[in-house]
Amino acid sequence: MSALNLSLLYTLAWRNVWRNRRRTLVILLAIAFGIWSMVTLAAIMRGMIEQQVDNTINNLTGHIQVHAVGYRDDPSIDNSMLSPGPSMLKVLRSEDVRAWATRVRVPAVVASERESTGVTLVGIDPKAEQGLSFIAKAVTEGRYLQSPGDQGLLLGRKLAERLETSLGKRVVLMSQDIDNEIADRGFRVTGIFDAKMEATETGFVFVGRTLAQEMLKLGARVSELALVVEDRQDLDAILERLANAAQGLDVQPWTKLEPLLVLTVKMYDATMLIWFVVVFLAMCFGLVNTLLMAVFERTREIGLFQALGMRPRFILSQVMLESLTLLLTGLVIGNVLAWATIAYLGDGLNLSAFAKGLEWAGMSSVIYPLAAASDVVMANLLVIVLGIIASLYPAWRAARYVPVEAITRT
Amino acid sequence: MGITLRLAWRNIWRHPRRTLLTLSAIAFAAAILVFMVTLQLSSYDAMIDYTLRVHHGHLQVQPEGYLHKPQIRNTIPDARALGSHVRQLTGLSAVSVRAMGFALASSRARSYGIQVIGVETEYEGKVSTIPGLVKKGRFLSSDDAQEAVMGHVLARNLKLNVGEELTLLGTGRDGSVAATVVPVVGIFESGSAQLDRHLVQLPLGTFQDVFSMGDHAHAIVVLGDSLEEVEELTDAVRFGLPAGSPLVALSWEALIPGLKQAIQMDWASGWFLYLSLIIIVTFSILNTFLMSVLERTREFGIMLALGARPGRIGLLVMLESIWLTLLGLAVGVVIGTVVVFYFHIHGFSYPGMEELAAYYNLPAVIKLALSPLSLTLGPTVILLVTCAAALYPALRIRLLKPVDAMRGV
Amino acid sequence: MGHTVICRRLSKTYHQDAIAVRALSEVDLDVPKGDFVCLSGPSGSGKTTLLNLIGGLDAPTSGEITVDGQRVDLMTQAQLATMRLKHLGFVFQAYNLIPVLTGQENVEFVMQLQGIGRKERRARAQAILKEVGLERLENRRPAKLSGGQQQRVAVARAIVSGPSLVLADEPTANLDSENGEMLLELMGRMNQEHGVTFIIATHEQLVMDHARRLIHLHDGRIVSDELQR
Repeated sequence: MSALNLSLLYTLAWRNVWRNRRRTLVILLAIAFGIWSMVTLAAIMRGMIEQQVDNTINNLTGHIQVHAVGYRDDPSIDNSMLSPGPSMLKVLRSEDVRAWATRVRVPAVVASERESTGVTLVGIDPKAEQGLSFIAKAVTEGRYLQSPGDQGLLLGRKLAERLETSLGKRVVLMSQDIDNEIADRGFRVTGIFDAKMEATETGFVFVGRTLAQEMLKLGARVSELALVVEDRQDLDAILERLANAAQGLDVQPWTKLEPLLVLTVKMYDATMLIWFVVVFLAMCFGLVNTLLMAVFERTREIGLFQALGMRPRFILSQVMLESLTLLLTGLVIGNVLAWATIAYLGDGLNLSAFAKGLEWAGMSSVIYPLAAASDVVMANLLVIVLGIIASLYPAWRAARYVPVEAITRT
Repeated sequence: MGITLRLAWRNIWRHPRRTLLTLSAIAFAAAILVFMVTLQLSSYDAMIDYTLRVHHGHLQVQPEGYLHKPQIRNTIPDARALGSHVRQLTGLSAVSVRAMGFALASSRARSYGIQVIGVETEYEGKVSTIPGLVKKGRFLSSDDAQEAVMGHVLARNLKLNVGEELTLLGTGRDGSVAATVVPVVGIFESGSAQLDRHLVQLPLGTFQDVFSMGDHAHAIVVLGDSLEEVEELTDAVRFGLPAGSPLVALSWEALIPGLKQAIQMDWASGWFLYLSLIIIVTFSILNTFLMSVLERTREFGIMLALGARPGRIGLLVMLESIWLTLLGLAVGVVIGTVVVFYFHIHGFSYPGMEELAAYYNLPAVIKLALSPLSLTLGPTVILLVTCAAALYPALRIRLLKPVDAMRGV
Repeated sequence: MGHTVICRRLSKTYHQDAIAVRALSEVDLDVPKGDFVCLSGPSGSGKTTLLNLIGGLDAPTSGEITVDGQRVDLMTQAQLATMRLKHLGFVFQAYNLIPVLTGQENVEFVMQLQGIGRKERRARAQAILKEVGLERLENRRPAKLSGGQQQRVAVARAIVSGPSLVLADEPTANLDSENGEMLLELMGRMNQEHGVTFIIATHEQLVMDHARRLIHLHDGRIVSDELQR
């Protein structure tokens, strides 16, 4: 009994699977549908979660941020830091870093002729922000800032509405300067920007960094440094080098800056795994039952095999192989369907009916499903491995039939 | 019919193991559904209630347009009187008047832009939990007192303690400068990151004074007795408003549309999962139904030969499926109920929930509570789907001819 | 050892619910090599039971069975399987063939289990199918063969693996007299030409007439044992 017999086993298994076409089709449908729902749902959820991460990173967070120690607890002007020195610049200029920029970032008040409200004032180097954050591409009316010394101001659309102001009009920015005095300065609104989330439009106001530094008497100091790397998975190496170069400063990856996001990602992973197991269990009942029925129907035949000298192990292998055939066929169908579904949704799943709800949860209303290899592999592996384990029971029962009972059973 | 029922029951138990497996599949799906649906519905109720009670209330009367553009000039005139009117109208005492504005809050060390709300000290505690959540010091004493309370994160950022002075600088209703210096008498921990970081509360009279409001305000907050009555209550208040006034009565769904939609979305995505689950389980057990019909072809042939009508046999098979499903559902419902009960006593939460809850302004532990809906919704859908599936084998029987049946294996 | 089968004081009792049924009582039997034996008797006489015990498909309540010098009653399931594979062939009344395999594949089946290579398997299978007169039907599945043809394939398979003993249980019961006659002639020829011992259980006169040695069972005991031809 050797590898020679594998082909015999396989021939028997394959033909037996198709003996009862209808029954096989029904269970195949169950398996296919199961894996389809696993993979598709995982892709949709993964797409949502990746979007959330990208949005956050794009939304000024970046992959790594550097601040003065204490800024994160108290993001005020007191906790400003010097511009990066030569050792830091060396790390920043390496090819792992895709883009980096320093910013002034303090709480402020913006007032139009009619209204005033609290915002975060962000003084930027416009060119450096390209490829780093959303603002470089977000200006839809007027123009983007040209340089750190640009006299203009960028206002979010929703905020402009709330302040009842518009392009070309004047607003006043007030904030606390480094001497603890209230500094204020007038700006003309030179650009209006649109962001994916309303909170971004109402929360930030952008000006040239030099202007912010002048207004707040910062000199060459800044509030933060943000950067994005080429490969998000490879963060730790750069983090270490930067931390070493930035002695005395607080260097943090986005995972620490947005622990809530990290938590949400973990929860999605856990939820998906639980869902996979639940779907599998649902399929499992059907699989085991179908195999049991197939075995029961063929008791006579199994008795025949035993009479012909086939060992129990062989019979067990045959049933297991039938089960594996069912599983693999179902998986192939289900995966193809899932791939087709995801491709069809490639332009985005439009959930704008729930736009406000999504915004409340921090997501935008068009979701792009993302089929992550790890999710797909895990789903399929789970089904195969657990499926084989579940098939052990019917296979064991088949092998245990006593020949006489088997043959004489009607 | 009686004999058919009995026959159906006995037929199910011909193959005990097969029946038990099928039962388990149905029970599994039913238990999961009972638990998950209850979890969802309980969460929603808890979320809404919790969120509303902290600050928003069940409904608010506001000037038209204020919701989308909260401008200080858009006001409710003679607000206190309207407040009393609403109290009389609804018979509720949980009605409170608020005036809101924006200001720069400064301590000696810092300044921050924050929201200032003037509240009726007598009534605010009835519509909001914040007065009860003052952890240091005390809440505001009277409508004219020169005092303020603030969130604990703001207090920390401003480096202010109870007894120290807070400077407020903003723009009044008439465009004039609104400025005042008041001592901080209390610091609250609301559990909502936003409120704790951006909110300062003044007594209503003091606010109206500082911001040149006269007797105007911006909102009348109402907290009903229960969530179910909110629609009625909102209608009642709406009709009770003075005719032709530019005021609107907005229920919480209009105040925080994101909340309702988030709930709807969660509900919808839940059902995507549940339906997938039900369909998979149905396919799983469809084979059982099919097999049990096909292997009795001969027997049915004999029944037909004896004079039974195909319709009756079809009914028999449907009854078997229904019996089986009902049994499975019963077991599943019991299991699901036990699990729900466990979490009813101990509360449901999972690692990480606390942090998420604080951010989204939700309760950190959910007490599961069964409702007739949550108990029956899942199982009913399962019943409908499995019966639809069972129709297929049952209908095939109608095509059976006695001779074919008896010849077939 | 000239004897293929030796039974000593063989007994088998079945328990059905609370009732004990004595299928065989203290049976002694010697079957020499190359014998063509018929076990006859009415239903319930124990002939099928005896056949099953000799073939290791069932275990005796007491007594000994020796096949080809080995004690069948002392073997484990695995050993029995090996014995059946190497030393025995079976022909049943019905359901002899594996439905999903063609006639030729059915014949090759046991050889495959024995580990015989493809070329040799194929040659032997085709040869034996020719011997039984089915050389053009080898690619049909059992469902497409008549009852008589199916039984002939079964005999071919039983012989081709080179057993020393073939056990047949009512092989002609489902066939008309012409086919039954043909089958018995075939089995007789196999017995002569390949030297294989045959033990056939039957209640049909047709079969009994063909037997060289006729053993009659009644109520679990051997009542007569005669040579006929």
